[in-house]
Amino acid sequence: MNLIFEISNKGARCATIRKPDVKSAKINKKYARAEKPELPEVSEVDFARHYTALSRRAFGVDTGFYPLGSCTMKYNPKINEEVAALEGFTQIHPLQPEDSVQGALEVIETLGGYLAEITGMEGVTLQPNAGAHGEYTGLLLIKAYHAARGDTKRTKVIVPDSAHGTNPASAVMAGFEIINVPSDEEKGVDLEALKGVVGEDTAALMLTNPTTLGLFEKNIKEISKIIHNAGGLLYYDGANLNAVMGIVRPGDMGFDVVHLNLHKTFSTPHGGGGPGSGPVGCKKELVQFLPNPAVVKTDKGYKFDCGKKSIGKVASYYGNFGVYVRALAYITALGAEGIKSAAEHAVLNANYLKVNIEDLYPTEKGRHCMHEFVVSMQDLKDKTGVSAMDIAKTMIDRGYHPPTMYFPLIIHEALMFEPTETENKRTLDEVIAALREIYEEAFKDPEYMKAAPHHAQIGRPDEVKAARQPIVRYKKPE
Amino acid sequence: MSDYLSTTERETKEMLEKIGVSTIDELFEDIPADLKVKKLKLPNGKSQQETMEIMSALSKKNKVYDVILRGAGSYDHYIPSMVKNLASRSEFITAYTPYQAEMSQGILQAIFEYQSMICNLTGMEVSNASVYNGANAAAEAMLMCAEKNRKTLITFDNIRPDTLKVLKTYASPRGITVLVLPAKDGVCDLSALKAGLNDNTACVYIEQPNYFGLIEDAQKIGEVAHEAKAKFVMGCNPISLAVLKSPAECGADIAVGDAQPLGLPMSFGGPYVGFMACTSKEMRKIPGRIVGETSDHDGNRAYVLTLQAREQHIRREKAYSNICSNQAYCALIASMYMSAMGADGMAEVAEACVSYAHYLAESLESVGLKIKYSGEFFHEFVTVSEVPADKILKALDKAGILGGLKLSKNEILWCATEKLSKAKIDEAVEAIRRVK
Amino acid sequence: MKILYRESHEWAAIEGNTAKVGISDHAQSELGDLVFVNLPEVGTEVTAGDVLCDVESVKAVSDLYAPVSGKIVKVNEELESSPELINQDAMGAWICEIEVTEVPEDLMDETAYEEFIK
Repeated sequence: MNLIFEISNKGARCATIRKPDVKSAKINKKYARAEKPELPEVSEVDFARHYTALSRRAFGVDTGFYPLGSCTMKYNPKINEEVAALEGFTQIHPLQPEDSVQGALEVIETLGGYLAEITGMEGVTLQPNAGAHGEYTGLLLIKAYHAARGDTKRTKVIVPDSAHGTNPASAVMAGFEIINVPSDEEKGVDLEALKGVVGEDTAALMLTNPTTLGLFEKNIKEISKIIHNAGGLLYYDGANLNAVMGIVRPGDMGFDVVHLNLHKTFSTPHGGGGPGSGPVGCKKELVQFLPNPAVVKTDKGYKFDCGKKSIGKVASYYGNFGVYVRALAYITALGAEGIKSAAEHAVLNANYLKVNIEDLYPTEKGRHCMHEFVVSMQDLKDKTGVSAMDIAKTMIDRGYHPPTMYFPLIIHEALMFEPTETENKRTLDEVIAALREIYEEAFKDPEYMKAAPHHAQIGRPDEVKAARQPIVRYKKPE
Repeated sequence: MSDYLSTTERETKEMLEKIGVSTIDELFEDIPADLKVKKLKLPNGKSQQETMEIMSALSKKNKVYDVILRGAGSYDHYIPSMVKNLASRSEFITAYTPYQAEMSQGILQAIFEYQSMICNLTGMEVSNASVYNGANAAAEAMLMCAEKNRKTLITFDNIRPDTLKVLKTYASPRGITVLVLPAKDGVCDLSALKAGLNDNTACVYIEQPNYFGLIEDAQKIGEVAHEAKAKFVMGCNPISLAVLKSPAECGADIAVGDAQPLGLPMSFGGPYVGFMACTSKEMRKIPGRIVGETSDHDGNRAYVLTLQAREQHIRREKAYSNICSNQAYCALIASMYMSAMGADGMAEVAEACVSYAHYLAESLESVGLKIKYSGEFFHEFVTVSEVPADKILKALDKAGILGGLKLSKNEILWCATEKLSKAKIDEAVEAIRRVK
Repeated sequence: MKILYRESHEWAAIEGNTAKVGISDHAQSELGDLVFVNLPEVGTEVTAGDVLCDVESVKAVSDLYAPVSGKIVKVNEELESSPELINQDAMGAWICEIEVTEVPEDLMDETAYEEFIK
């Protein structure tokens, strides 16, 4: 389809504004730009059709099954969108007087309190704008904690080899060095290896639990002991909290700092890649370092409060406020039981999908998975040449979003399925049937699958060309 | 209680049977029993109607002002209906990052169009798919510029306080120094800048217009920065770029800013969207997602996430930045706004802002307030008054008007946008006149 | 001129006191289509075994290690716009030239390297 620049029609107008009814003031020529910027000029109907066409070439949770592992693509309740669009939330300026935004401050304080309870933490900041931003913030808290104790030798952060790439990247941004630890046979942290690397220089261990393989880290108590005995802190990457919320709390597992993803666990929509929100919770000793400003409840209502030992600000104003409103509406609707039953059904759905395909899509044997599971297509690839990627692309032809591919890095030909709790049995049964057929097809016509998708918007794009000669903007033909 | 589940009890039982367990609890056997939580101390779940009532009541505890004369980084602009309406299509809202290009051409193309518009607005050659907000965009730009032997960012005390705070947070763990020089008559002081620059300067960061609304002689500042081989980073208000010299014309290496004025409501500070654009020389260092054009095997035009080897999921601890989620949906809205307005519409908005700001300034002068700085301003300016700022703002508040932002006991930072009118400004000024 | 290889698949073609450095044909075929070569900086002193630079394919980035010690005196700027030259002719597409101060003893000659990658 055309780019909006290509349907641009010189002189066409879409939105218009009221003419100012005061004397016109203009910018001094000295500061004025030479030419007006090249922006599309379209009529309203062309505008509507263009964006409708784009939306029809987008695939969302509302379009179909979206088992993208580690991303928790659960249904995004419509009421949350309506609530977030209320004028009392959208039409308020971030620097209004405190007494004129008591509702907004209450949203922040209440949501922070709920998240503290769900994670077993004693303080929460909502300021970070996404998961990686939360990691960065959490690591700065850890840095401040050690520094305040005069413990300046703690420069290293330990990260398992199964971790998300953001973990090491965030730790480096926060000024730490990275030590990778291998996984053991059960794909958990190798305890002996961990004991070998902890020491006086250990600032923290970053861990996802359930792990990125969708398995609960059974040795969590032992790991916590090893890290804490060495004087380090335990960091919880909340990417997978959806499996265990209401069932076990990171704080009770021994974690000192945690970040959450409201856009995963708490149903706020992903919007094609954001805005997310990455609140950070921490134990009592670290609360004083949380970003400024915090919101506190007093006898005279809600107030901003700036701590002297705070790590400062990590984002403009107070973070992605509109996202909090949606998350608060979600937790309000679910309540204590709903939160737990969401986790239970996320795990139920993942296990149901797993047991129905694991004879063909091999995964970790003999254990129940949590909310997601990882299969390795290495055997199928050896037999037929059909790769995890080919399976993913064939799923597109059948109208499903593929699972996460080639992650975690420690599994060859990995596909990571996370069906989430909001899918029903009928959908899962259809997907199971489709996946079983796809497996058979790999033997019957591997070449056809290697060229999939055949019925999508485009065939496989040439990514090498895109990276070698990057074209990252539209340029008007000469 | 609402739970958004869609499995019935009967189905749950069938599923458990198939899995080979009798209760859901058994699926959680890997979790040590003594760690399990009994029951969360949260309120009980609510029906949809109750949820709406609770949230609606919260929203009503916020005061919505009829007239807003406050900016300082968050701006009350008119948002076109077609932008709100088309952006609300749920395919846009409920999609994830477009990892699977074959079924995400709509999202990818939307980002490509956004990148193109940001490039054209700033005059730069490369834009990323957005970052969290304007302050974070400035911080990421700082990290792009820092080199082994160049670890100082120089700026002035006339940039947004939030941006300065975020720059400082991001600087210290990486061993970067933020040097804040005093502005002269509200604008960047070239001689102070020359004196501050040396071989360790990574970049000079300024805002255009600056926090006080003043228009900087950006081109000069850029020349001075480049003479010392430092990079030049400009933080820009995107509405002003419809009429002001583009960062490219001013010689910027990196242009950043917050695109909130482009169709996003103030929403108590977020979600907003940080834009980042740079010269092609800096392309490999710009953080975050970038969409590129290519073709599929049949030669059809196709869009993909490209230059991914810069990013954290591949480069891990060696990545330039940890960012993955950006503000894609907000970037979509910003690009819709630019399409709906076009260059002429945006210029009209900018000129309306300037005109109302100057009318407001003159009117305030007529009731005894003084304009603090002598330089030319865009749509914000600072006043000094004998009457305490608190008194003025309180009087306006009573009239349902959100006055400017108090900067000190007697100083206020005002802002005007196209949403104002002569009558609204006259009403505000009248309320101030009565204070005395 | 003699060509020596590191176990990490870089080669050094040594002539007098300079060495041209590149990656082996085996390495380029393992890496797949290269999309970018992050060239080292002229003037940098490297010790054998240091990270020299990195190369990018679409979904991976790989560090290259210095096979010899010395000072980088030249880089092959042609690779900036045409990284595919390495895929086309790995032994011809040198990445940089090093003024050699030391050649480690554990480098392999071609026969040994051929044996090593079998």
